[in-house]
Amino acid sequence: MGPMNDSSDLSSEMEVDAFRRLFPLRFHERHLLESIRPDGRPLGRARDTTLAFGAVASADGSALAKIGCTTMLAAIKMEVMTPTVESPNEGCIAVEFHMPPICSPTVRPGRPAEVAPVVSKQLSDTILRQVVMTFSGMIDLKDLSLVNGKAAWMAYLDIYCLDADGALFDTALLSAVAAFCHLKFPMVSLNDDGRVVVVSGESKGGKSGKEAVNKEQRKLNLISIPFSLTCTLHNNYILADPTAEEESIMETLVTVVLDSSLQLVSFYKPGGPVLAFTSAVMVSSDLQKAII
Amino acid sequence: MADLRLLRMRCYWRLAVFRTGAVNAASGSAYAEIGDTKVIVSVFGPRESKKAMMYSDIGRLNCNVSYTTFATPVRGQGSDNKEFSSMLHKALEGAIILDSFPKTTVDVFALVLESGGSDLPVVISCASVALADAGIMMYDLVASVSVSCLGKNLVIDPVLEEESYQDGSLMISSMPSRDEVTQLTITGEWSTAKIHEAMMLCLDACSKLGKIMRSCLKEAALASQE
Amino acid sequence: MEVDRADGRTRNQLRPLACTRGTLNRAHGSATWSQGETKVLAAVFGPKAGTKKNENPEKACIEVIWKPKTGLIGKPEKEYEMILKRTLQSICLLTVNPNTTTSIIVQVVNDDGALLPCAINAACAALVDAGIPLKHLAVAICCCLADGYVTLDPCKLEEQRTKAFAYLVFPNSLVSVRRKGSLQVEIEPVEHGIITSVTRGVMPVEDYLRCLERGRAVSAKLSEFLRRSMQVQAPSDSPTAG
Repeated sequence: MGPMNDSSDLSSEMEVDAFRRLFPLRFHERHLLESIRPDGRPLGRARDTTLAFGAVASADGSALAKIGCTTMLAAIKMEVMTPTVESPNEGCIAVEFHMPPICSPTVRPGRPAEVAPVVSKQLSDTILRQVVMTFSGMIDLKDLSLVNGKAAWMAYLDIYCLDADGALFDTALLSAVAAFCHLKFPMVSLNDDGRVVVVSGESKGGKSGKEAVNKEQRKLNLISIPFSLTCTLHNNYILADPTAEEESIMETLVTVVLDSSLQLVSFYKPGGPVLAFTSAVMVSSDLQKAII
Repeated sequence: MADLRLLRMRCYWRLAVFRTGAVNAASGSAYAEIGDTKVIVSVFGPRESKKAMMYSDIGRLNCNVSYTTFATPVRGQGSDNKEFSSMLHKALEGAIILDSFPKTTVDVFALVLESGGSDLPVVISCASVALADAGIMMYDLVASVSVSCLGKNLVIDPVLEEESYQDGSLMISSMPSRDEVTQLTITGEWSTAKIHEAMMLCLDACSKLGKIMRSCLKEAALASQE
Repeated sequence: MEVDRADGRTRNQLRPLACTRGTLNRAHGSATWSQGETKVLAAVFGPKAGTKKNENPEKACIEVIWKPKTGLIGKPEKEYEMILKRTLQSICLLTVNPNTTTSIIVQVVNDDGALLPCAINAACAALVDAGIPLKHLAVAICCCLADGYVTLDPCKLEEQRTKAFAYLVFPNSLVSVRRKGSLQVEIEPVEHGIITSVTRGVMPVEDYLRCLERGRAVSAKLSEFLRRSMQVQAPSDSPTAG
């Protein structure tokens, strides 16, 4: 092992777990030399991803996404509201990302995690993309209108992190998109006062359907579907879909979000050592395409 | 009515599902689903107590219960539930061998994903499975069951709707194999005879629930051995 | 290049830059940075003994506190704090003062677009003023994409009208930085690298690469300005970053 110094001698004597804890960086560098990661993945491989729709019965749309051990539960609740004067024919979406204390040993009750508001902001940016003039969002807010100027849908999207093990944003976005796919508008009707109210009651449901069904009961039309991939960069290695341990040791994180038409939605790299970017951008987006 | 109750009794343990190892990042965790009530509990520790804490020969237990915003039919705030947190603490405190981890703290955090009635009993039972999963020493598992009094009838493991109409409620957390009660709460209007009946009903259900919890842990242990 | 921006600039032209060091005398280091009407004041306190929360026996800790012009701190500000923190962490030599905390307080004086880049520049100048050991300086720039063109350093109005924009942070391009060979592994020249990138809105990958190219080109100019203003005001100071 070339670049290893004193610790490599130690490593032969030490137990693997102890070495991992005491010299985390060297432990990982040692793996990188062999182009393999501690969990047995090659560098460019993402973890197994699973998706389950309708995990929350009390919500109008919900999904549970899992990437490796990272688990996110997203649920949407719809409420009828009066649209704003500025945009009478548009609904509204509120995105909130929560990291309850159950998800990670670093989160304590009463002291919200530092990353929670940041992920929350990133998510709402990605989903809503509030850039005026040109419309480019994932969802046409006009689809959320019920009666022009009178009533529109307010969609509350809440994403709960149940288990945090790296790639939080990726998993959260996946669960959010899946929840919107699963979303079914509740029935509404006009009551005696001429106001729009939600009618409670069961309704028959198809699962896939992407086209709008009818005025009363329909699915949301998703214009473009964003996919995200986080990578860590360490020297000239690129590791796709890092675990929490990898994220904490290798500081450079890059999150690339592409949508279904392969447009770049976000290229997010907060700090970290400088990197030879052009190649990295290319590789990350290539990896991304491979995963889609 | 008695028939209905029996029916509910049977349903009770058909619908109770426990799974350990729900959260990988925690030292121990469990997911419980009883009817529509869905709960995840993570246990962290024993780990370093907060710096401000005084020295203590015995371990500390720290509990927190919170709800998701979509747990209740009407979208809530999803904040901490202080009352449930302290109730959970009291229900578990007596069952954990605190001497086994001096100076340190065990954190028990619960998140109610969906509230379908009898939330606290489910949280307590789930927490004791999670503690066992984390390898925290306990005298016994804590099984918890509540009974609602609706007029003349007793309903075990009430659902949300029944809870909203109840005249009184009784909850028992017990350690079934030791035949000991760690917590008993009674609220509302009760006659002595009714209390007696409800308690018997609860204790019986607790021992049945305890068996389900135990078998879940056994399964998990067997699976990990293989 | 035709002049077609509201304020008469060309697409590649920056707004007038201004930088003042040592604005506050209580702080260990401070600086104001303005780009046109956008103005940010940054103050640095530290290195001071590490607080319990930020204790790290091996590295110094950077803490960023964002003060909006009015109102309370919200989610966007939290995000800015995090980006600033990560960015500054990567330019500071954290191993020089282990187990200390350095606080950077960023006060927005006026927001007229490109706020985050302006804040990063201000914070960087303040760090130099405080004499915090840095690997190199960083310069930040905002690139806007509108009608297929890349526009640099937009004002608020332009920012609102664009399809997408990117905040980019580059390392200082003058290579008078003393190389810490053991700490840095250089694959390409440092100034070609990118420290931070944050984008909003949808754009084709090629456009992003064009943004990078433009941004990098103009960052040389910016970093020259930063360096100059550092030297002019403190000729006798021991050079901390150059």
